[in-house]
Amino acid sequence: MYVELHARSAFSFLEGASSPEALVHACAAHGMPSMALLDRDGLYGAPRFYLAARKVGLQAHIGAELSCTAGGRYPLLVTSAAGYHNLCRLITRMKLRAKKGQGAVEPVEFEEFKNGLVCLTGGAEGPLAHALRAGGTGRASRCLEELCRTFGKENVYVELQRHFSIEEERRNQAAIGLARTLGISVLATNGVCHVAPGDREISDVFTCIREHRVLLNAGRLLSLNAERHLKSPAQMAALFATPAQMAALFADLPEAIRNTEELASRLKFNLKDLGYQFPVYPTPNQESQMTFLRKRTSEGVLCRYGANDRRAAQQVERELSVIEKLDLAGYFLIVWDIVRFCREKNILVQGRGSAANSAVCYSLGITAVDPVGMNLLFERFLSEERGEWPDIDLDLPSGDQRERAIQYVYERYGKLGAAMTANVITYRGKSAAREVGRVLSLDSETLDRLAHLVSAWEYTDSKDTLARQFQDAGLDVEQHRIGKFFALCQKIQDLPRHLGQHSGGMVVCQGQLDSVVPLEPATMPGRVVVQWDKEDCADMGIVKVDLLGLGMMAVLEDSLQLIRRHRNEEIDLGHLPEDDPAVYAALQKADTIGMFQVESRAQMSCLPRLSPKCFYDIVVQVAIIRPGPIVGKMVHPYLNRRLGREPVESLHPLLESTLSRTLGVPLFQEQLLRMAMIAAGFTGGEAEELRRAFGFKRSEARMKEVEIKLRRGMDAKGITGATQDRIIQAITSFALYGFPESHAASFALIAYASAYLKCHYLAAFTAAMLNNQPMGFYQPVTLIKDAQRHGLRFRPIDVTRSAFECTLEESPHGLLVRIGLCYVKSLRKETALRIAECRAAAPFLSIEDLQQRVPQIQKDEFRALASVGALNFISGDADVHRRTALWQVESASRPTGPLFKSRPLRGEAGDSGSHSPLEPMNRDERLEADFRGTGLTLGKHPMAQHRARLDREGVVPASRLGGLRDGTFVSVAGSVIVRQRPGTAKGFVFLSLEDETGIANIIIAPPLFEREHTTVVHSSFLRITGTLQNQDGVISVKAGKIDPFTLEQTEMISHDFH
Amino acid sequence: MAFAAIFVPNFIFQSIARSEPELRIQPVAIIEGSPPTYQVTAYNRLAQILGVNSGMTKASAEQFAGVQIRHRSSAQENIAHMALLDAAWSVSSRVEDAAPDTLLTDIDGLARLYGSEEEIARRLLSRVSELGMDANVAVSANVETARILARAVSGLTIVSPGQEWRFLETLPVAMLAPSPQLAEIFQRWGVTNCKSLASLPVLALSERAGQEGVRLRTLASGRGNRPLLIAQPADSFLEFFELDDAIDNLEPLSFLLGRLLQQLCARVSARALSVGRVQVDFALEEAFESTIVPSRESRGARPSPKTFSCTLQLPVASSDATLLLKLLRLRLQSRPPGAPVRKISMRAEPARSRAVQSGLFAPVSPDPQKLELTLARIAAVVGQSNLGSPQLLDTQRPDAFHMGKFSVAVSASPPLQEASRATQTAFRVFRPPLPAWVQVQRNVPVRVALQGTLGTVVHASGPWRTSGDWWEERSWQEDAWDLEIQFPVGSETPQALYRICYDLLLEKWWARGVYD
Repeated sequence: MYVELHARSAFSFLEGASSPEALVHACAAHGMPSMALLDRDGLYGAPRFYLAARKVGLQAHIGAELSCTAGGRYPLLVTSAAGYHNLCRLITRMKLRAKKGQGAVEPVEFEEFKNGLVCLTGGAEGPLAHALRAGGTGRASRCLEELCRTFGKENVYVELQRHFSIEEERRNQAAIGLARTLGISVLATNGVCHVAPGDREISDVFTCIREHRVLLNAGRLLSLNAERHLKSPAQMAALFATPAQMAALFADLPEAIRNTEELASRLKFNLKDLGYQFPVYPTPNQESQMTFLRKRTSEGVLCRYGANDRRAAQQVERELSVIEKLDLAGYFLIVWDIVRFCREKNILVQGRGSAANSAVCYSLGITAVDPVGMNLLFERFLSEERGEWPDIDLDLPSGDQRERAIQYVYERYGKLGAAMTANVITYRGKSAAREVGRVLSLDSETLDRLAHLVSAWEYTDSKDTLARQFQDAGLDVEQHRIGKFFALCQKIQDLPRHLGQHSGGMVVCQGQLDSVVPLEPATMPGRVVVQWDKEDCADMGIVKVDLLGLGMMAVLEDSLQLIRRHRNEEIDLGHLPEDDPAVYAALQKADTIGMFQVESRAQMSCLPRLSPKCFYDIVVQVAIIRPGPIVGKMVHPYLNRRLGREPVESLHPLLESTLSRTLGVPLFQEQLLRMAMIAAGFTGGEAEELRRAFGFKRSEARMKEVEIKLRRGMDAKGITGATQDRIIQAITSFALYGFPESHAASFALIAYASAYLKCHYLAAFTAAMLNNQPMGFYQPVTLIKDAQRHGLRFRPIDVTRSAFECTLEESPHGLLVRIGLCYVKSLRKETALRIAECRAAAPFLSIEDLQQRVPQIQKDEFRALASVGALNFISGDADVHRRTALWQVESASRPTGPLFKSRPLRGEAGDSGSHSPLEPMNRDERLEADFRGTGLTLGKHPMAQHRARLDREGVVPASRLGGLRDGTFVSVAGSVIVRQRPGTAKGFVFLSLEDETGIANIIIAPPLFEREHTTVVHSSFLRITGTLQNQDGVISVKAGKIDPFTLEQTEMISHDFH
Repeated sequence: MAFAAIFVPNFIFQSIARSEPELRIQPVAIIEGSPPTYQVTAYNRLAQILGVNSGMTKASAEQFAGVQIRHRSSAQENIAHMALLDAAWSVSSRVEDAAPDTLLTDIDGLARLYGSEEEIARRLLSRVSELGMDANVAVSANVETARILARAVSGLTIVSPGQEWRFLETLPVAMLAPSPQLAEIFQRWGVTNCKSLASLPVLALSERAGQEGVRLRTLASGRGNRPLLIAQPADSFLEFFELDDAIDNLEPLSFLLGRLLQQLCARVSARALSVGRVQVDFALEEAFESTIVPSRESRGARPSPKTFSCTLQLPVASSDATLLLKLLRLRLQSRPPGAPVRKISMRAEPARSRAVQSGLFAPVSPDPQKLELTLARIAAVVGQSNLGSPQLLDTQRPDAFHMGKFSVAVSASPPLQEASRATQTAFRVFRPPLPAWVQVQRNVPVRVALQGTLGTVVHASGPWRTSGDWWEERSWQEDAWDLEIQFPVGSETPQALYRICYDLLLEKWWARGVYD
């Protein structure tokens, strides 16, 4: 029996052409009992290879090909756990001392890490071939002797590959001779790079991408033939025992085949024996971790629930006993420690996700939602049956604050004890088309056009196929080369391209993480990443803590600081008034621009119908506009019941208590789990198993199994017939997309806080929002226009007043927002900061004064400042308009020779150069300059100046739509601020059109969108005529006719959601 | 002083409409690019009314009813430009070639010949019109004003001296063709027309916009005068001949070629130059092709050539028309055009005459002109593609090479190398490969018939498998075997080692060569 012991997957980035799963499936199809994966310089594909192999009952041998400074790549196979740890450490060492994507092992390092490793001599890239090329058989012999000295003769195999190449065969003959002389075993491998012969094309394309060539000039870099595919044992045996001339030469070579089986039997290591241990939290006074956790929890319980809440105490005790049983005290303490650090450093932090189901997390201050009060299901977070690590995600303010938390974890657990998880970047539609097209020498214009046509919307209709995109780009797939292009684009979809860094996932380890998984440097300085992505780490049982950056957390934090500074008030987000009328009034009116999670177009169209009146309504609101409830058709029944149009009835009397809060309609994942527990008698762990069975990685067999169990359970409880079917239907269709109640509650808390700040501290909230862009659904200009409609005043960018960020200023009308220099598009941050710094020392006297004191200011920056009016106030009371400033900056920013260095500054006595012959900008020009220079305007909305004309033409302002009857035929016009084509909306497109009075919501049916695609996608301003829909206070216009609306040169920027 | 500027608006379209005048009354879009990415680069007014725009794809332009699509032709543009020069030169000898579509002429002193400035301008217009183009002509005492107005104002414009600014003041600044940087500054300043630019104080402007700003201001105020840059004769010499009846015989063709060569050599010699390279382009008769409707299968195939080119690259420049004609004749004998010739376009690139003295100890090399003649004679016998120095191509494809130009190495003989001790086996390649018949048993050749003789395989080594060019329609896939073949007693070679190949795509066996 032949076993393939030298295969590369696509995780040998741009070298292997098949996924680890594809290799495993092909291996199983060939009837091989096991296989080894040796990717280049890493174990990137090992978890996926192992998991796929485990699923089909194969053994996955682990190894890697390591680049060596002496030349060649050394194929190393792992025989034992010690070997695995050695390999991980060796890779980590070579990676961490080099730049990202580089690194090679020093020959002497093999000696240090040799235990548990078997070394093959490799194919054309191997050390033996390298030695033969460099110095003939003499050097090759020395190379083999050296390998035997390092790894031991029994751990070295002379590798023979046969790809029908005459050069390779010459090398094989030399290798066989040397092996016989030195008494080393020979081993047949096929140096596999892909599964099927046809995948050689991908391999060639990858070679070109790697070598920056195109196929036409890649020449001998391309593969000789298509023989590096996974061959069956029979094919391999035939290769090494052909009846041809080779038979005489290699008469004894069946041993090369036999040796594969023998060596495979020596490779005992299994990836499940990773040896990973979560770190031990260092407790004071040698207390056990559990005791320490109990104490911290008790303190928290007292603080959160008081001394007399027996229900809470019982829940906490129950959770603690599970934590103790699962030996997870350390995990909770480590997360608690990170939260404690953040609190100490005044960094806002809040746990999200299923951790919010835990009363222990709530007591420890990790989460902010009371799971006892909200009756949340602990088993969704942790259960004895699952045997998995719990998942705690922490939301932190995006930016520097989150980085501080990450650096704290590095400091605490050491460079080799903590690392970020990787993010495997794979080929997607656009990247595949662009790179393959380039390799096939297609011109860049065609590729741009194709890339543009590759659907960027979230929704893709059935006609929106790659074939159609090719057709639209004018490419005929019937042509040979275009046909290849098309096929290759499809084939390389989802194959890994390179390794990136996950945004927030961190893994920590007791002791050396580098012996569990290889580490390598990230592009970002000071960051180390593991070679596995988040999912792989979770699958391999490595605990991760997600430190996620959330823009709204940064907004909240900044708002609190601004309020503290300008209103001298201390806001505690944990103790906001619970039922603030202003908040609920705003939510009920869908006046929610800028508010977390409830500002989207879909949320706004639901809010007036749901009409939130209490905090739990916000939780429902956050969860209801999700694919789960929408696909599961739960939204309308829930809203109808809320509006009293449908009777509130439960699926079964037994489920009343579970579903009563959501009016008998299941909306949350926890409800499904509870339904399974109540109706079918599932335990908490079994219910969570059910969720996973129907989750993203669903398998038919497993779903069937769980369904049988569910039905059996319900039969036992007497729930049969149609009711049983309905419950099954609800559970199965919903489990995939359902939103956890705990997660919704955590988000609802942030949503409430953002709404509260917007309603009561609009200036601070708006300034903070503007300082944390990009985030949310809307562009800054929309946020400003919305704030202006709410009465907030703004001050323009001014080098004599503006800081880098937007700030608040006192005025007789209350606080107003001064736009920061950060909004001047071509102004560098360091220049802006320097301007503010110099101004703090002394006010600027003139533009030349500014230029002399901030010499790093560049000409373009000067022009940009002048264009947006930021220099208008620099000369005190002197009459400076934008054009005067532009006139002056052109002279100020020109280099001055030494002769004129000492001439008086403009604006000082004796200077007359500030006079400008230029006309001031008119209103349209200012508007255009504002949008071009800052992307926003504080002046009137561009639509305002056309109102008279629009009125004459019968175009209705957005604010008046609410007063019109349902079914009225109307025309509206405005700037497009949001375009959306959600995946769940069957091809409908939703637009938000803004005019000076507010926002009009537009619905475009798919046929109309097809016809007017270009206008809808590319026009900044639109005029839309159609039927007004006014349903339960939700106002929208169903478009019947769409025209571009021409409006000078102003270009508004929309936020398009794809 | 008086200057006239000639400007041909929409030059790309007009250069094509010269040869197809009927296009002037139809909507036309001119496209350029390579298939399938053609884009509209120019169009006429009728097409514009329909909605045709620059940058539109060919497919989009074709959607407009009645729009005629033509490819942009740089050859036609060049010829139109030459025609424009001819028109200008026919009136004045002092011509500046400002742009393909713009010429500036000095018309001072022409009044006695042609009359008033307006009459001269009308004459220029009519000359251009006779050559198939519509132009704008502007006359001014100021050459730059004339240029700007010719580009900006349709028809005829005569500017009285001192009134330049009146004509210029309403024109947009863009007509002065400022650099992108300055255009942006003007745009920021709100300086949109020539009047506002001319009104800026010159010193302050100089301080801010530099000398370019001052120059543009001068232009805007109608004071930008300068001497003409008189057009110099071109670097290459073009002769062109179009036949009424196509020629398919070398003799009459040689007569015409000889005449053209003599004209070229005379022009070249007059400038004390020699001919370094001659390129002759023949437009061929297409009568047969135009009557054939291509089948679906043949659409993708390479179309039959409509032109034929022949280039003489001379190792040493020469102005000997007889020699050049001999070389050309030999070249055409070995590789004739293949269809009757309709047009001949002959371009000569000049080079300086070279006088070379050989080194005293350098080996005597053949006279370059004689060598060239000899090579041409050989090429006439064996074919151009079978002559030269073979150069290996960078590909895995077996025996892939191309023939480079043969030349005598200038350096002395290479240093003697120590003979390699390893036994070198020579391989004699059969070109083209010989067809073979091969009997295979258990995937290994056992008997081979070659050139009518059947042999038995004694030893087989292989297969050596190669494949490639999978992205091309002509990919290859081949298994090569090294076979030791025993032929019957009495054969010319009783036993030999051959390389026999099996083409997996054509399913045929070939003998690629034999080992010595």
